[in-house]
Amino acid sequence: MEYISIIVGLLLIIFGLWGVLTQKNILKIIIGFSLFDTGLHVVMVSISYVKGRTAPILDDTVSIADAAKKIVDPIPQALVLTAIVIGLGVTALMLAYAMKMYKQKGTLDISGYKELNG
Amino acid sequence: MVSPIHIITIGLGLAFALGLLQGFGKNFSGILMLLGVAAMGFISFQWLVAFFTSGSTSEIFTAGFKPPYSINLMMGKHEAVLASMVNLVGLLGGIYLWDTLKKQGFHAMLVYLVFIMGMNIMIMTRDAFNLFVFMEVVSIATAGLVILEQNNKSVQAGFKYMIATSVIAGLFLMGIIFSYYFAATLNIDGLANANLLAIKGGSLAIFLVLISIILELKPFPANGWALDVYHAATPGVSALISAASATAMYFVFYKVLGIVGDSWSQVIAAIGLLTFVGSNLLGTKQDNPNRLLGYSSIGQMGLLMAILGFRPFLGEKLEFIAFTILLTHYLAKAGLFWLAGIIKSENLKGFAALRKKPFMLFLFGTFVFALIGFPPFPSFFGKWELVMHLANGHMYGWMFAVLLGSFFEGIYLFRWLGYSIKIDHLALPDFKVDWNKIIPVGIFAIGLYVAGYFTSGFAEGGTAINFIPLFFVAFLLMIDFLPIIIKNTISIAAIAWYSFSILPPLYEHDMLRFIFAGIFLIGGGLTLIAGYAYKGKRPGFYPVALLMYVGLAQIIEAQNMLHFFFGWEIMTAGSYFLIIRGKRSMPHGLSYMLFSIGGAYALLAGFGMAHAGQASLSLDVLANVSQNVSWIFGLLAVGFLTKTASLGLHIWLPGAHGEAESDVSPMVSAILLKAGVFGLVILMIAMGHHPEAANIAYILGWLGALTALAGNLGATFQEDAKRLLAYSSIAQLGYILFALSIMTHLGWLTAFTYSINHFMYKAILFLTIGAVVLRVGTHNMYEMGGLIKRMPFAFIAVLIGIIALSGVPPLSGFAGKWLFYNAVIDKGWYFQGAIVFFSGTIAFLYLFKLIYSVFLGQLKDNHRQVKEISVWFIIPIYVLIIGIMIFSAKPQWVLQPLGEMITSWYPNGGLQWDGGLATSALGYWNGSGIMISIVIMFALLLSWLLVMSRKAQKVEQFNIVYSAERPFRPETTHVSYNIYAGYNKALGFLVTPVIAAFWDSMDNLVHSVAGFFRKIYSGNGQVYVAHVVLFVVVVYFFAIA
Repeated sequence: MEYISIIVGLLLIIFGLWGVLTQKNILKIIIGFSLFDTGLHVVMVSISYVKGRTAPILDDTVSIADAAKKIVDPIPQALVLTAIVIGLGVTALMLAYAMKMYKQKGTLDISGYKELNG
Repeated sequence: MVSPIHIITIGLGLAFALGLLQGFGKNFSGILMLLGVAAMGFISFQWLVAFFTSGSTSEIFTAGFKPPYSINLMMGKHEAVLASMVNLVGLLGGIYLWDTLKKQGFHAMLVYLVFIMGMNIMIMTRDAFNLFVFMEVVSIATAGLVILEQNNKSVQAGFKYMIATSVIAGLFLMGIIFSYYFAATLNIDGLANANLLAIKGGSLAIFLVLISIILELKPFPANGWALDVYHAATPGVSALISAASATAMYFVFYKVLGIVGDSWSQVIAAIGLLTFVGSNLLGTKQDNPNRLLGYSSIGQMGLLMAILGFRPFLGEKLEFIAFTILLTHYLAKAGLFWLAGIIKSENLKGFAALRKKPFMLFLFGTFVFALIGFPPFPSFFGKWELVMHLANGHMYGWMFAVLLGSFFEGIYLFRWLGYSIKIDHLALPDFKVDWNKIIPVGIFAIGLYVAGYFTSGFAEGGTAINFIPLFFVAFLLMIDFLPIIIKNTISIAAIAWYSFSILPPLYEHDMLRFIFAGIFLIGGGLTLIAGYAYKGKRPGFYPVALLMYVGLAQIIEAQNMLHFFFGWEIMTAGSYFLIIRGKRSMPHGLSYMLFSIGGAYALLAGFGMAHAGQASLSLDVLANVSQNVSWIFGLLAVGFLTKTASLGLHIWLPGAHGEAESDVSPMVSAILLKAGVFGLVILMIAMGHHPEAANIAYILGWLGALTALAGNLGATFQEDAKRLLAYSSIAQLGYILFALSIMTHLGWLTAFTYSINHFMYKAILFLTIGAVVLRVGTHNMYEMGGLIKRMPFAFIAVLIGIIALSGVPPLSGFAGKWLFYNAVIDKGWYFQGAIVFFSGTIAFLYLFKLIYSVFLGQLKDNHRQVKEISVWFIIPIYVLIIGIMIFSAKPQWVLQPLGEMITSWYPNGGLQWDGGLATSALGYWNGSGIMISIVIMFALLLSWLLVMSRKAQKVEQFNIVYSAERPFRPETTHVSYNIYAGYNKALGFLVTPVIAAFWDSMDNLVHSVAGFFRKIYSGNGQVYVAHVVLFVVVVYFFAIA
């Protein structure tokens, strides 16, 4: 059962990448990227999971002394926060670009933007 | 000492401050931003100085914990150097972009500041996740800077960049997170110690980390997204991406390689070389400056990537090689992008506008030569060491790939340089040069020279190089605004001074070098005298002419291979600029350069293979080579034969020599070609130690004979006097090659005699014809005629020149011929000898045509008032005539010492001398005796003719009434156009330009292959992402798994 989340994460990554590679609409491409990114985040959290342990929060049930034995690895959970923030920034910038491109040509079809080539 | 952590505090703090303080105006914000970058630069530079003075480094543990419990930053030698580089280009780039940044306001400045800061941290961090974060920060900042100047193109390019780098970053993150899973640390050194490759799954994780960094370095062909950014961003930003981001990312790659070790070196080398060769190949089809520079940047990063892949073979020189090439790329590429931003042309040809500003043209030339790896720039020494080490490791395939990629790079860079110097571009676009834009370019160009000077000492054998002559060239460049008379006098004085200091000792110790130094230096001084005939300032002539002579002098001085190659390349650079000065010389300059580069790379490869396994770099090791003997001698021969323009490699010469200026033709023909001969002599001395090299000598002998035939035939059918002489040079060099290949005492004596003779008579002929051309304004012989009456001095000079060249008694050419027959009969090469003999008779045809068409027959109407050639040409011409006369009358003065010299290589079979009487195994000959008898016979015949013709009637030029005609206007009966039509019918098929056609088809092949492959860059951003994904899959399955 503990593998479900990592499998879901990997599937999300693959679906997302598939979207980036096949969708012609720029917004859909960006959604594909978001899926890809989310999948990454799920995978990050999943690999820190250790069967039978609890969240890395020190409170009444988990004391400092036995924290190392009771909690899952806290580092990926910390990292994922940063990754989410970065993903947000990247997505926002992509959307801003999409807006600018739409304003230019009135289309969101990526194959319409091929002035630079060769 | 300021802690490196303050690079972050300054970067982030000022970024926030910019927002708070925007009320103070854009100037204030801009200055604050520049101060911020300067402060980061100060911190990194301070640690750089600290490292080199006291060896101190700094390691910062954030939050006070040691890794793996915290992120740590490192400021050691590498970090200090690279961060300083990034911050310097950041500062200068910020100054360059001042107006653009100010227009966009504080948002843009904020992004700029974070961009620079992010790269600093990418360099310093030792934590993998931190690396990811700041790579993303830099990536987002880059995407912001790409649209600093918004237009259709930059927005599209920015989006493609975003989508591709985001996918790459995702792969990187996945690699990091799985590496953490297996190694339980994010510290790079910790990951290196965890031996991830040994763990199942760990190697996949580390593969993802490595491949995403490789993708960030833009490997061919998964790099369309990057090309578009280089193309579409404002050049000030492209300069930063190319110089700063690439530098930072390269160091990240270096750090990540620390985790992987050498296991995947082969793959990395292959990807790097594919990128280097592929990008440069496709570069040949580009005509947009920014896009071309993008291709070139990617190519250079490919080479740098390959260098890290070659790591197992480079030993302790790895850092030197990588750093010199990186530094050159950094300085030159930023400079070129900045220049492109000043000129603002959509086409390479627009760079012709640089001609209006010679100083900027000089900067442009500096960057081009530096990128290709010419001396004295750092990349020259880096490439040299790279090739030496690859050869030493027997990695010949890789070595040739490096050279091939460099050659492709040469094609487009020199075509571009040629456009800027010479293309006919009637409407030169105007451009404005702001001080804030040109100063960064100037600083980087000067940086290249300074860096080159200081790196030379780190290359093996580099300390032998004498830089003082180059300083003199730089001095000439600085006084280029002075009139000709001053510059010419200084140049002649310098050559004279150098000759007096070098020739006497050489005469004592090294006869061989004395002869060639004599040809180079005395010839140089004499041909420069003709320069007084020119008026005005002749901008740019003296620095490049002296550059060529400096190169020639270095070849003479060189005792080791590096020094020799250094001189060779300097000489090539100088002669290229001399040749391309001719009015219609743009294509000829390019073909000269491409043949020269190709030849130089053959030399480099040959030297590398010869050096392999030998402890010494001395030129003498050529004699001791033990493996790949045929390859080494073959490559070196090809290298030298490009300079002597032997058949097959000769097509550059007629145009280059024919179209050159009047006093340049003798320099590049009579003098420069002898550099190739000198090289061949050095080569053949070595070949003499290897009996198995006799095959090569045999082939070279045939090649020489056929070159003689083809050159003379070619000369016969020319209508252009200078091209006629140029073809004649090809043939004469063929004689010399043939004679050297005989490899006996007499053969070599013949070759040296021909070399000295050819120097003298070809200088006389080219100087005279050049001076005539200056007077009559055409090269076409059929447009001249009867000039004997107007230019008697020129006529006598040409007469003597052709008598000497044709090898009839009494002049010195006969000495060559007499020796030649002795040598051929002695060796038994009858068939080849017959071909050379036959081509000698053909020479009479064109020599007759030359003197008849130009000087005899009837004077053209428009030349009735033409004056005698300039006295400044007459002086060197008649000095050389005196030289020929002395050599002819007293050949023993030259031939005896030559014979003694040759005895050290070929002790047997020389001439026996008894005063002026030379005896060989086959006969005897007395130069002075022949001279006296011919002069007496001539005098007798002349007086007889004078006596007999004293009653002859003088007729006017157009008195053709005896032909029963009564012309109403002057008509010449002088026939010289297509004078040998009959011979052309019989033998013309021999001069069908099959070789030129062959090289043309090679040229087409390169360009059509490039044209085919560039189609992979369809312009669709989605396709570029697919390239990225496919690249990962292909590399994984074919190379790793």
